[in-house]
Amino acid sequence: MIDINSTLIAQILNFLILVAILRAVAYKPIVKVMQARSKKIQESIDQADMDRRSAENLLAENKAKLAAAGKKADEIIEKAEKEASVLREERIEATKREIEQMKKAAAEEIERDRLKMQENLKSEVVALSMAAAGKIIEKNLSEKDNEGIIKSFIDKLDEKKLGDL
Amino acid sequence: MHEIGVREVVQFLGFTFNWETLKMTWLAMAIVILIAYFATRRLSLVPTGTQLFIEAIIEFLHEQIGNTMGKRGMFYAPLIVTLFLFILVSNLIGLIPTLASPTNDLNTTLGLALMVVCLVHFLGLYYKGGHYIAHFFQPFKVFFFINLVDEIAKPITLSFRLFGNILAGEILIIILLQLAQWWIIPSVAWLAFSIFVGVVQALIFTMLTMAYLGSSVKDDHE
Repeated sequence: MIDINSTLIAQILNFLILVAILRAVAYKPIVKVMQARSKKIQESIDQADMDRRSAENLLAENKAKLAAAGKKADEIIEKAEKEASVLREERIEATKREIEQMKKAAAEEIERDRLKMQENLKSEVVALSMAAAGKIIEKNLSEKDNEGIIKSFIDKLDEKKLGDL
Repeated sequence: MHEIGVREVVQFLGFTFNWETLKMTWLAMAIVILIAYFATRRLSLVPTGTQLFIEAIIEFLHEQIGNTMGKRGMFYAPLIVTLFLFILVSNLIGLIPTLASPTNDLNTTLGLALMVVCLVHFLGLYYKGGHYIAHFFQPFKVFFFINLVDEIAKPITLSFRLFGNILAGEILIIILLQLAQWWIIPSVAWLAFSIFVGVVQALIFTMLTMAYLGSSVKDDHE
């Protein structure tokens, strides 16, 4: 049952042949693939790490940009408001001036109209007085006296009555 | 095996060979190569099927080699992987009726064990030189005899453990079938247990080989 013979050597040779075959055919390619896989996994992990880091950077960058943009928008709004208020003030000022001018123009016109009316009234009163006085003292007075009386009358009229017109 | 323990012998060029053992060894080799072929037929980065199975074995053995033999041991990984696969397949084909395990022959197991032990001493001398010889005389010179017994016991225990387990398993399969042909449960149970024994024995042989090789291959400073 335990007879040792040349089979022992044959088995060693068989085994060594098997080692050589498997090493060449199976072991090396499989180990190569396993190394390639672990390398690929490592690369994938590295890549993922890099991607995450770049994404974080991008996020921070965008946040900063957004903040800057918000600040700029605030500044623009503030500036626009300031400009608008300045413009408003100017417009108000201009309108006030215009109103003032219009008022002044209106006052001048009124004054002009008054003077004109006064002139008209004067001449009318003169004509009326002349007519009235003429009829009353047609015969008594000379033309020179006449004019003196009328003038004094008108002057009185001026002082007392026309001021109220 | 028609009669237990009687082997068919052939003569070739004046040498005597156990014909059945050789046939079964070649069959086991063919099966191992076939498995390797199927595993490497479509190698891909995403392993499936046989590739996954072989990769799992290689991965496991690589880890063991790394632990016991260090970095230098990786060079001997093909030997270890082949040893495991060959012994595993050899143990298991004996469970198929009409086939026999090559490992039920002491020639096979002793051959493998002697090869391993020779490799251990050769690599020990190669890597460590005089330091390796000196370690046989540690801690005292008298211990050389104890160490000698230790070294002689290594191949004997290694080979007889595997040989005994597998041969006993096969004998028991035959005996159980002859004792109780009308009741197959013990036979089936023993067959199932033999599968377990076959795997465990292959693992033990491989692990011990790694441990022996580790003592001479592993870098002391590692």
